[in-house]
Amino acid sequence: MSFRDQAAIAGVGYTPFSRNSGVSTLTLAIDAITNALDDAGLTVDDVDALATHRVGDSTPPWVVAPALGIPEITWYLDQFGGGSVSHAVIGQAAMAVASGAARTVVCYRAINARSEFRMGGTGRDPAPIFDAQYQAPYGHLAPPQQFAIFTRAHMIKYGTTHEQLGQVAVGQRANAVKNPRALKRDPITLDDYLASRWIAEPLRLLDCCLETDGACAIVITSAGRARDLPVRPVLISGAVWGGGDSFFSGQGGDFTVSEAARIAPRLYAMAGAGPEDIDVAELYDCFTYSVIVQLEDYGFCPKGEGGPYAASGATRLDGALPVNTHGGFLSEGYVHGINHVAEAVSQLRGTAGDRQVAGAEVALSTAQPGYVLAGTSALILKADR
Amino acid sequence: MSLPDRPRPDLDRDSTPWWEAVRRHELLLQRCDGCGTLRFPPRAVCGRCRSREAGWVPALGTGRVASWTVSHQVFMRAFADEVPYAVLHVRLDDGDGVFMYGNLAGTNPAEIEPDMPVEAVFADVDHELALVQWRPR
Ligand SMILES: [Zn+2]
Repeated sequence: MSFRDQAAIAGVGYTPFSRNSGVSTLTLAIDAITNALDDAGLTVDDVDALATHRVGDSTPPWVVAPALGIPEITWYLDQFGGGSVSHAVIGQAAMAVASGAARTVVCYRAINARSEFRMGGTGRDPAPIFDAQYQAPYGHLAPPQQFAIFTRAHMIKYGTTHEQLGQVAVGQRANAVKNPRALKRDPITLDDYLASRWIAEPLRLLDCCLETDGACAIVITSAGRARDLPVRPVLISGAVWGGGDSFFSGQGGDFTVSEAARIAPRLYAMAGAGPEDIDVAELYDCFTYSVIVQLEDYGFCPKGEGGPYAASGATRLDGALPVNTHGGFLSEGYVHGINHVAEAVSQLRGTAGDRQVAGAEVALSTAQPGYVLAGTSALILKADR
Repeated sequence: MSLPDRPRPDLDRDSTPWWEAVRRHELLLQRCDGCGTLRFPPRAVCGRCRSREAGWVPALGTGRVASWTVSHQVFMRAFADEVPYAVLHVRLDDGDGVFMYGNLAGTNPAEIEPDMPVEAVFADVDHELALVQWRPR
């Protein structure tokens, strides 16, 4: 595909993650963007494009741009959608840079998901999600409820167990222990997991990601310009998004296959890489189950064996395929997808500290694999040599 | 029960006839005039043959439990008195790929099993709205 390796990630910025940021999503966005530009050795004056996504809860580019004092925006993206589009935002920014429509894009996501706007709109009126009319009246609307149905379907078809789900949570917490940014840094055991309370069976509290206040920003520019900047660029080698079936209404039929299975071949083809080339994988983990289904659908193990694969230790930091090296959304925090990209960049720069995967050259980072709203998105990133 | 406090469905121009039928305690599906495919939720066009011609037919009203969840967390205040409650994802006996959601009726969540046969029953919310529920058969 035409824009392989043409755009690069030149900077990454965070705000602290918390349960109550005490500030607006606009302030979070500004702080994360400023930190990302500092990291890249750039200033606000270098920015000519902004990109974000939202579900009615964040700050759009045309508010952020004047607030930051960006002189002129030549391209922007204000994508409606949740985690499933999180990586499409990065991909579209890479396309904008590769096409010349933009020179330097900052992608950001600012979210007060704990203190202000909880996912699914369960604290207020139902979210304006298509086909919610066939579920919300039954008390079925929040993401844990949705994913409980998908998880159960996988358990029925493939025999995936509570213990296998638990190993995802336990393994990721072990990574978070090594991540100073993580919200949850106390180790947990499988017994802790099994003792945690039901949220929506078969999902327990420790199957669920952390509702988080925080923001993250990613600076994207051309590979050529990135090489003149102080930090080692990370190339965007593969960036795809898409899908087909909608799972929300149940028309998809088989909940045990995600949209990741549909986009994975295009992703690997664009990047010129395969599952065997991936050194580290940051797999969207709104819930433990989404990791298991993506291990299958991105081709790391045969279909139906994601549970045993996750429980085998293969996805631990010292395993064959380290997954969610920062602790993921389950333990680091949930910024709706973008903090997976940021962690992948840290791993490829070799700056991930105690949780660094030795020699990581190629990373997969993925979005919500297409449940609820059809479609997903994913990136393959490579260290620049 | 707090049925009247529940979120009400946001009807659209495709779904209104379906909800009106549920209010009359009838469970309908669309059937494509072009290829005969049954479909739900209601849509103006067939995803298989693209025909815009379709009619309403009665569903069998029976199905099997494809998946389910039992909510313990109170996500919506209207359900505070109902936890733990089950939501079923039901594969209708009418044909492949036709599914509906609904609450469990007539038994408790511990009795649910994969592929359990169920039938649709209707719960009146008020004069304008009824909901589909599923009970073992
Ligand atoms: Zn048709």
